[in-house]
Amino acid sequence: MALTDLRDKLVADLGRDGVIDDPAHLRTYECDALTGYRVVPALVVLPRDADDVATAVRACAEHGVPFVARGAGTGLSGGALPTADGVVISLQRLRRIIEVDPANRRAVVQPGVTNLDISKAAAAYGLYYAPDPSSQQVCTIGGNVAENSGGAHCLKYGFTANHVLAVDVVLPDGTQTRLGGDAPHQAGFDLLGAFVGSEGTLGVVTAVVVRLLHTPATVRTLAADFDSTETAGAAVTAVIAAGIVPAAIEMMDNLAIEAVNEAVDAGFDPDTAAVLIIELDGPADEVEERFAEVTAVCTAATRVTIARDAEQRARFWRGRKAAFAAVGRLSPNYFVQDGVVPRTRLGEALARIAAMADEAGLRVANVFHAGDGNLHPLVLYSEAAGEHERAEALSSGIAELCVELGGSLSGEHGIGTDKACSMPRMFSTDDLETMQRLRAAFDPAGLCNPGKIFPTPRLCGERPGPYRPHPLESAGVIERL
Amino acid sequence: MRPATLAELRDAVRDTDGPLLVCGAGTAAGWAGTPSPDAARIETTGLAGITTYNPDDMTVAVRAGTPLAWLQAELASHGQRIALDAARVPAGGTVGGLVATADSGPLRHSHGGPRDLVIGVTVVLADGTVARSGGHVIKNVAGYDLGKLFCGSFGTLGVLAEVVLRVHPLPPATRTVALPCDAVEALDAVGRVLAARLEPVALEWCDGSLLARYEGGPSSVERRASATLLHSAGTVLDPTEEAEAWRRVSEVSDEPTVVRCGTRPDQFPYVAKHATRVTSSVAVGVHTVAVAGAAEVERLRAEFEHVTLCRRPPGSDLPAWGRPHASVPLMRAVKQQFDPAGRLGVGRFAPWF
Ligand SMILES: Cc1cc2nc3c(=O)[nH]c(=O)nc-3n(C[C@H](O)[C@H](O)[C@H](O)COP(=O)(O)OP(=O)(O)OC[C@H]3O[C@@H](n4cnc5c(N)ncnc54)[C@H](O)[C@@H]3O)c2cc1C
Repeated sequence: MALTDLRDKLVADLGRDGVIDDPAHLRTYECDALTGYRVVPALVVLPRDADDVATAVRACAEHGVPFVARGAGTGLSGGALPTADGVVISLQRLRRIIEVDPANRRAVVQPGVTNLDISKAAAAYGLYYAPDPSSQQVCTIGGNVAENSGGAHCLKYGFTANHVLAVDVVLPDGTQTRLGGDAPHQAGFDLLGAFVGSEGTLGVVTAVVVRLLHTPATVRTLAADFDSTETAGAAVTAVIAAGIVPAAIEMMDNLAIEAVNEAVDAGFDPDTAAVLIIELDGPADEVEERFAEVTAVCTAATRVTIARDAEQRARFWRGRKAAFAAVGRLSPNYFVQDGVVPRTRLGEALARIAAMADEAGLRVANVFHAGDGNLHPLVLYSEAAGEHERAEALSSGIAELCVELGGSLSGEHGIGTDKACSMPRMFSTDDLETMQRLRAAFDPAGLCNPGKIFPTPRLCGERPGPYRPHPLESAGVIERL
Repeated sequence: MRPATLAELRDAVRDTDGPLLVCGAGTAAGWAGTPSPDAARIETTGLAGITTYNPDDMTVAVRAGTPLAWLQAELASHGQRIALDAARVPAGGTVGGLVATADSGPLRHSHGGPRDLVIGVTVVLADGTVARSGGHVIKNVAGYDLGKLFCGSFGTLGVLAEVVLRVHPLPPATRTVALPCDAVEALDAVGRVLAARLEPVALEWCDGSLLARYEGGPSSVERRASATLLHSAGTVLDPTEEAEAWRRVSEVSDEPTVVRCGTRPDQFPYVAKHATRVTSSVAVGVHTVAVAGAAEVERLRAEFEHVTLCRRPPGSDLPAWGRPHASVPLMRAVKQQFDPAGRLGVGRFAPWF
């Protein structure tokens, strides 16, 4: 009843072509890139501007109907998963770059603009938008804000949160406001900082003010082969411990290399156990000095290939960025996991993951942001062979291993639907309830992207997994009480 | 009350009736609104010291009452630092206090402020709830980032008990170039330095000069400093002059009436016009502004939403906050959730709440 009323209201306000309600078309919104979770929404709306978004959100609020914002649907944690009785608010029509302001080194864009299009628009001024998720050709800045997305170069440049100055937001009751300001100084609480990374649960972004940087003067890249992932991990630690801040340090293990070499002509050695792609950028003198230090630190490498030109560098990166998709060639199905360990425990984490994979009788390929300790184990399995449950258990076991090693359940893909039930491994009930207070301040009715981040009995069973003390707590290093 | 452990802090907050004022070293006691005189004081300085430090992970966890200057000395012995150089650090400013006031210094040009350096917090809420967010790794998107929410909270949302920070390597060498210019010319000078892509870590205009500081290898900083002078007239400072120039920058915060304000970078000349003295991270648009009095503060507030009062003469009735900006209603809603009885930091955000 509420839904029929709501549909009529939305059609009246946004126009017939602003509302989707036929089942076949609705199905295209049933999942994001975590395709294992699918729910067909009741309605999809396609607003044309911020006022349309506000109209839609207000109508949902008045009818007590849940809603979820959706960008490009490349999310990997089920963040944009609809509810069956809810509305999807697609931001695909809000894809205008409102302004590029080279004098103030910033751009104002609508939320549906893709990450890469911002850099393209800024390129004319020698500027670019730094965070570079591998999905940057497709994913939207609105989705990036919601997930606090990262990318290979975040090691030096930081994440989305460090590059957004302000967002215009439609709050869950339909009011419009701005968080942040013209500069990184806010009078009062850093609500912008709290909003970025809130996974679409605090409101719908309708415009984003991003910082732009000058493209670096020089870029130098090498690929270093290692005879084990442990020695590669040790090299990562050695580079960082030498006081060097590379633009990026990425690792691929043998299985990932095999997949990449089949998919694109990246030229990695198929026999090496692991390869590190290390990139330095910045002023020429500084890069040269530091690049020599990096090469010296990589003494354990069996081979070091220095990209001789932009073309060879681009080849390394093509290989790295194609890795997720390439793994599809090795296996009919796979799960992408995303967890973080303290960098010094990379080797240990990789060894434990390998042991867990052996035990489960499954293969795991690793391709990840090593400099940040941000693992992306790809668990290969076959649906047809009935391996789904074993693979899923292995994948969430790996995320929980990251917590056990003193890290995090997610470095960039978000908790979403996927890992909500694992949150009690990392946070106590009090921690989660305190976070819910923020939620309640923004969304007292709980209609804005419900069922994400926080474990619910419906999602996780009556008793979500128990909180276990953080290992640092057990070791007496941090205290709770 | 001066609790020395998290448990004592929790008990003190939970078991004391009425309003509470959280105090660190007192270096920013005059920031924001005047606290209610009736409040019981919770001193955080008993909560001091490092709880976890693994230099190779480039993270450190400290109790919130730890003076940042003390921490910097500890980290320096491992060739590391917190990239936060707020003016009040040498005076003893605590980590918790710096986070609660979202204070920063010229390094904000390259490293941002506390919001960009805090990776985890443990807080005690007014009802005694102890909660953690973030963690011990730099990259982490699990759950809401309460560490950022507490930046600029001035002790009104809860008491910071522990803070986990990311650390950076100490640079092998530094060099500063001074480019004499006025506030209008500074905009062009900033544009030239940035377009030369020499990556200064700080770009601060103060007392008639734009200061560009480079950090890195010894020969690299030398060459970048010289390269700056290919585009702009100025001098490379010797180490004594360099220290003196940066000392002048931090001195601005000691003037009798000071505000911090955030603007679009190209609005800096307007800010400078209303200042008796100003130090500005021009490229990011964050200015520390000494003004003659209330009229100038009003003039800045008429133009800009994000103006924070940092210092006023004793007995001054200068209002701490101007017209409420767009997200003040949300701040009130957050305050209501975190401290429904309104016990913490009464007066700090008056007249907003
Ligand atoms: C091949 C591949 C590679 C990837 N590589 C990376 C990587 O390197 N780094 C990385 O961080 N991520 C990566 N991702 C994950 C994904 O691309 C990012 O999370 C991205 O930010 C999602 O953007 P989107 O527009 O697709 O958002 P969606 O998937 O549509 O939505 C994601 C979340 O954002 C919310 N949302 C979307 N728009 C808005 C809005 N306007 N207002 C409020 N909330 C909104 C949704 O409700 C949902 O919770 C990758 C994904 C794929 C498929």
